[in-house]
Parts: sequence; structure tokens; C-alpha cells
Amino acid sequence: MIEFIARRLLLLVPVLLLVSVISFSIIYISPGDTAENAIMNPGGGVDRKAVEEFRAKTGLDEPVHIQYINWMGRVLRGDLGESYMTGVGVSEAIFRCFKVTLKLAVVSMLVSLVIALPLGIISAVKKGTVIDDVCRLFALAGVSMPNFWQAYLLIIVFALTLKVLPSSGYGDGGITYLFLPAVTLGTGYAAVTMRLMRSSMIEVLQQDYVRAARAKGVPEHMVIFRHALKNSLIPVVTVAGLNFGYLLNGSVIVETIFSWPGIGNLIVSSILSKDYPMIQGCVLFIAVIFVLVNFAVDISYAYLNPRIRYENKN
Amino acid sequence: MYLSKRNRITFMVMLLVMATVLGSLCIDQDSEEKTASANQTKPSGQESTLRYAATFGPEGTLDPAVKWTGWYLREAGVYETLFSYDENMNLQPELATKYEQVSDTEWRIFIREGVKFHDGTPLNADAVIYSLNRVLDDNNTRKGEYDFIESISKYSDSAVTIKTNSTYAPTIASLTDPVTSIVSPGTDLNIAPVGTGPFKFESYTQDVSLSLKKNDNYWNGTAGVDRAIIYFVTDEMTRLFKLESNEVDIADGLPQSEIAGLHNNPEYKIYSTPTLRTYFLYVNMNKEPLNDVKFRQALNYAIDRQQIVDTALEGVGGTPAKSFFGSMMSWSINDRIDMVSRDEQKVRSLLTEAGLEDINGDGWLEYDGKPFELNIKTYTGRPQLKPAAEVIEAQFESVGIKTSVTILDKGALETDLNNKDYDLSLYAWTVAPTGDPDYFVSKHFESTGAEAQKLSYSNPEVDEWIKAGRQTMNQTERKEYYDKVQEQVLDECPEIFVFYQNSLVGTNKKVAGFKQYPNEITFLTKDISIDE
Repeated sequence: MIEFIARRLLLLVPVLLLVSVISFSIIYISPGDTAENAIMNPGGGVDRKAVEEFRAKTGLDEPVHIQYINWMGRVLRGDLGESYMTGVGVSEAIFRCFKVTLKLAVVSMLVSLVIALPLGIISAVKKGTVIDDVCRLFALAGVSMPNFWQAYLLIIVFALTLKVLPSSGYGDGGITYLFLPAVTLGTGYAAVTMRLMRSSMIEVLQQDYVRAARAKGVPEHMVIFRHALKNSLIPVVTVAGLNFGYLLNGSVIVETIFSWPGIGNLIVSSILSKDYPMIQGCVLFIAVIFVLVNFAVDISYAYLNPRIRYENKN
Repeated sequence: MYLSKRNRITFMVMLLVMATVLGSLCIDQDSEEKTASANQTKPSGQESTLRYAATFGPEGTLDPAVKWTGWYLREAGVYETLFSYDENMNLQPELATKYEQVSDTEWRIFIREGVKFHDGTPLNADAVIYSLNRVLDDNNTRKGEYDFIESISKYSDSAVTIKTNSTYAPTIASLTDPVTSIVSPGTDLNIAPVGTGPFKFESYTQDVSLSLKKNDNYWNGTAGVDRAIIYFVTDEMTRLFKLESNEVDIADGLPQSEIAGLHNNPEYKIYSTPTLRTYFLYVNMNKEPLNDVKFRQALNYAIDRQQIVDTALEGVGGTPAKSFFGSMMSWSINDRIDMVSRDEQKVRSLLTEAGLEDINGDGWLEYDGKPFELNIKTYTGRPQLKPAAEVIEAQFESVGIKTSVTILDKGALETDLNNKDYDLSLYAWTVAPTGDPDYFVSKHFESTGAEAQKLSYSNPEVDEWIKAGRQTMNQTERKEYYDKVQEQVLDECPEIFVFYQNSLVGTNKKVAGFKQYPNEITFLTKDISIDE
């Protein structure tokens, strides 16, 4: 087991290296100029001399591989540097924004699972009935509705019309402020997850061992929850894991509309201004998140499917 | 229509769901009795709190000398400058009482007496010198804007002397930029701003909010509210929602599409004023036929500015432009010139003179016998740019010029402009951040200016006028030079000016005393109050 964990974590090294080289290069060749973006006057125009001085001070005038090596040197000493745009420490900014996004991601994931799993199971069990149709229509609606449209709709209904929730803002981070953005994000993922749950469950319910259990006289609810569920969850967990990874990247649209200072906005704005230290810091962070999430998904397989456990032992 | 029983039930369930959703939307939105406690962010007691939803806020630092942070803190009513502009763009003394020009290169500024900073320390010459020197510091990225200053010295406890390198007429105006905000020496400005303004800093959460308390010792009378909270909200619809749900009392940057609806609602007051932000086209005079003044003038007459305002700006987002200086500036020649209206006949004759003709009869003009296409580049940073560019595209096409629009992000577009890789480019500039005319003309029309080089524009006469304007202290004489520059530019069309952006601010009906400032850097003032 330890070996398994160690092997997986060792994967982090080549992944981080590859990811950081690719992103550094892509940002370098993309149009736009970092120093100009940093010095730019919001009213228009740029002070040429200040731009040159900035370039010299931050080493932006060096060749790209030197810049990368300098950056890597600092990272290996544990220093992610400061944003070229705001001067704020990169790790400090990522930490601050990630706390916000994490909260939203977890609650959104919960919302999506709470909706998707029961509906998926019911839909599968009641396949071919009205309930199944309604659930599938709901899934279609969830996938078809654009995030921002749904967000505005929820705000209009809950904040402006019913006046039971604040329209936006992080506030104290409590449930009243979490509810609308989490529902917006959650229903989008719920739709896809629900369909996957349904098709996976349908397939499992057609297996021989399920028929055997029924023939044995096992009550239907035990057939579903004790025998079928764990196996049908495997593809769902894979996708849910991926979705959680995406949620942890932050959703720029939802964060903007609800004024949540999350990591999605941080990443996008740093890309637009070619803020190297911030972009690289975020990219490394996201890579680590994904590796860890995938790792967690793999561990869950071992729990859901004992055969995988035995394979690992060998 | 035959539907199976199953499908019929499904259909009716969905109808029910839709009816519920639509029905809830029709519930009266104005019933304020239903306001839940979740929406009330006002503290209990008799304290009045003004809540404001702002578009932009400080980015990681609260130090006014760092980049444009001073703008946000001045808008919040925390910091003040030696001089400022009132709502009619008249220069007025603020922390200074007056100035004297001792010689061509020496200015004496007298500091208001009896003013105290938020921490009780007195405003005096030492504080002024300390504050201004922070801008001149080697590490300050904006020091280049103040390199006309040779030295700042103490004349007395309540007066300072500024020596300039050469005769520089914009000196006093430059002291209205909030980067020169007067701060209390010896405080860590990054954590706790200490200024002289009507509001004192209380707390700040980056990208979320800024909390302020009334300054009981404000030199110009106390504020009409006890507290103020500024929420930073980047999405314009969300700012509107916050106003409509009574989460804020003032919201700036309201969406154009919603203004008409709000005008009809007695619960809200809408303030709209043209700002100093002018939208204009850069013209690449390095390319043919853009180097021909007749072609540029033809483009100028092909644009219907009022139509752009009525369509792309929904009638409320802007005001058609004449000169690059809006009418609110005393330096503008707008009251002496006529609006350029679209004149198709004039356009066609100018285009023919410039060598454009539809030879093959396909409806599009050719240049030099070859197919011709004009490209307008613009950027994503401001929502008005894309629709305005598209209307201009349509207006050019209706006189036979095949046109296209390309949208880039600002950084990429800057690169293209620097490389002169463009035909026309639609941009938005604040033309006078310090209210002084030299800023815009020296950058755009003086041949050494960075923007003039992007245009490939060089006119020695204009250079002379701009240089003279910078060095003339007599206001009447100075005005003459800038008048000449404006007239020449409007005739030669190295840039074509389209509209001035309107600032759209909404308040609920309880807010009184709010005034809009065209330079947008003054927002929260002591005059604002809430009538319960």
C-alpha cells in the first residue's frame, strides 16, 4: 500500500515539470507584453521608460530559458515569487483565493451529488416510466442552460423577487452567500453525473449476479443498495473526481457574477496580463490538485471494487 | 395529437414546473416589506451606513503612490490632494489654499492650516514633502510622469516650494492626480491608510469590500453618513441586482440595457454625465490610402456618431464626440465647432478624390484598381468597444468600403499598434486625468509622443504649438495654442473621435447630495446623506 502511494506521488515530479515548461512557453509566445501590462495606465497609454526599467528589474529582458531557470531556482527554494501586476506574493494570493474556491467547490459537489445520485438511481430503477422521463429532461435542461443565464435567473428569483437570499458577494462565507453559486455550479454538473449514474446502474442491474440475487429472494432495495450500487458507482466516481478537479480550478463566470474572489478569476486575469509568476504558481497548484484528486479516485476504486485491492497486493 | 399516457403526464409535469418558474418571476418586485434580514447589512442603532457597489478596487496594496491605487482611495473619500477639480472641471484648492508662481520654474504652494490626518497628526509642509517625494522615488513606476520636478523644499511650516527643470505649465494640475495624495508620514500605508478625507479607513478584504467610518474632524465639515462600505463587484448586472435588492444604496457602471427601466422606477435616481473618457480610432498613416487626408476625412464623414450612441450604446452609454476634449473641459473647442454629421455625398466625392472607385460594379470600392478592405481592430477590455466598432463597420460598408472588425486582447493589440500592424484601431482613453490639456496632445500629436509614432503622425506646426502650450503660463495664450491643435487635428484626422463615455450611476431614492464628477476620481464626499 505504501509503495502504491509512493509511486503515485512520485508521478508528481515529471507532471509538474512538464506542465510548468509547457505553460511558460505558451505564455511566452502568446501576443502581448508582460511589462507593458504591468505598467499600463488604466486611462490609456504606457510610459516607455518605466516599461524598460520594469523589464530590467524583473529579468523579463532575458532569454526565455534563463527566465525559466531563474523561476525554477526560486521554486525549488520554496519561493513562488510575487505577482508582476500587483506585487502581492503568489503563494499568498493562491492560498487566499483557493480557500474561497474550495468552499464553493465542496458545496457545489455535494449539491450535484445529492441531486444526481438519487435521481440517477431512481431513473435507472424506474426505467421507462414517467419519472425516468422527467429526470432525463431535467438532466437535459441542466446541461443546456448556460451558467451565467442560470445564475441571473436564480438571483432574480431568490434575491430580487422572493428576497430571501443576498444577490451576490462572499459576505461571511456562510450558507446564505454559498447557496446560489453552489446551486448554479452544482446543477450543471448534476445533469451529467445523473445520466452517468443512470446508465451505469442500468447496466449493472442487468448483470447475472443481480438476477441471481433476485432469484434468491433478496428484497429489491437490498439488491439495489447492497449489490448493485457499489459497482455502478465506479464510472461515476471517476467523472465526479474529474469534475471536482475542474471545480477546484474555479469557475470564472460564477465567480464573476457572484463576486466571489476565487481562484478562477485569479488564473484568468493573470493569463490575460501575462503575469508569469502568478500563472506558473497557479498552474503548478492545479497540477498538484489534479494528481491528488486522481489519487483519491484510485483509492476509492479499491474500496468499491475488491478485485482491484487484490491486484494491488500482488 | 396522440400522446401516450406516459408522454402526456410528462408533458403536464413540465408545464407545471415552467408555470411555477414563470409565475414566481411575475411577483411584484417592489414590495419592500418583504426584505429579509439576510439583505440587511446595516448595523442596528441610529448609525447610517452608505453602501456602494464599485466596479474597480485596489489590487493588493492600499498605498496611494503605487500605480493607480490612489484613485480608488480618493473615490472612497480617504485621501485628498493639494488641488482638485469640482464637478464642473474647475480647478480648486483642496489641501492647499493657493499657489504663487515665484518664477518661470518656481511655484510656491500654501498649505491649508488646521487640518489633521485621521490619526491626529497635523497636515504641514513636512507631510506634503514626504508624500510628494514618495512619487519621485526611484522605485516608483510612475515617477516618469513627475520628472519635470527638480526639487521640493520647505518654505515654511505651511508652505512648500516646487522647482521644475524647465517652464512647465501643467505643474499645478499634476498635483490633482491621486498618486500625489497627501499621507501621514510614518504610517505603514499598505495596511492602514491614513489620510485627511471625509472618511477614515476601517477594514479591507481584497476583492471583496472596504469599510469606512466618518471622519469627525474633517476640515470641510462632517460627512452626512456615519459609515460607508464599498463592495467590489466586477459584473455590471450583479451591481444592478445589488441596488435592486437593497444590498447597496449606490451602484456605479450600471448596464446600458437597464437604464430605461430604472428611469421609470420612482425608487431609484439615475445620474448620467459624459466623462473624460473619449473613444476614438487610431489611423495608421503609414499605409495607403490612410496616408491621404481626403480618405481620412471621408471616413470621418462616413461615421454617424448619433447612430452609434443610439444603437451600440442604447442611447445612454455615451455622447457623440466633436473634439477629443469633451465639452466639460474649459480647454475644449466644442462650443465653437459643429458636430460632424454623416454626409454621404461628401464621403463619396472625397473617396473618389482619394482614388477609390467601384470599377467592377460589385458594390465595393477598389483602390488603385485592386480589391480593397479596411480592418478595424479593437480590444475586449470595455464592453462598448465591440458594438461600436461593428456599427462603424456597417457605416463604412454602406458607403462601399468593405470593412472587417478584429477583436484582440489589449496586450496583443498594443503589440500590433507598436508594430504599425493595423488599419484603424478603436480605443478608449481618459484624455485628461489631471484636467490638463498637455497630457493627451503631447502623447498623441507631438511627433515624439508614443501614440503619435503609432499613427506615424508628424506635423512641425503642431509640435510648435504643443511645446509653446506647455511653456505658457498665461491661460488665455495657452488656450489659443490648444485651440489651434484641436482645429488642426480635427481637420487632418490622424485620429477620428467617436464618442465620450457616459458614467451611469444609480442610487435609491433615499440618497441625497450625490454628485457625479467627470474625471471619475471623486465619488464619496461629505455631502452624501441618506434620508430615512
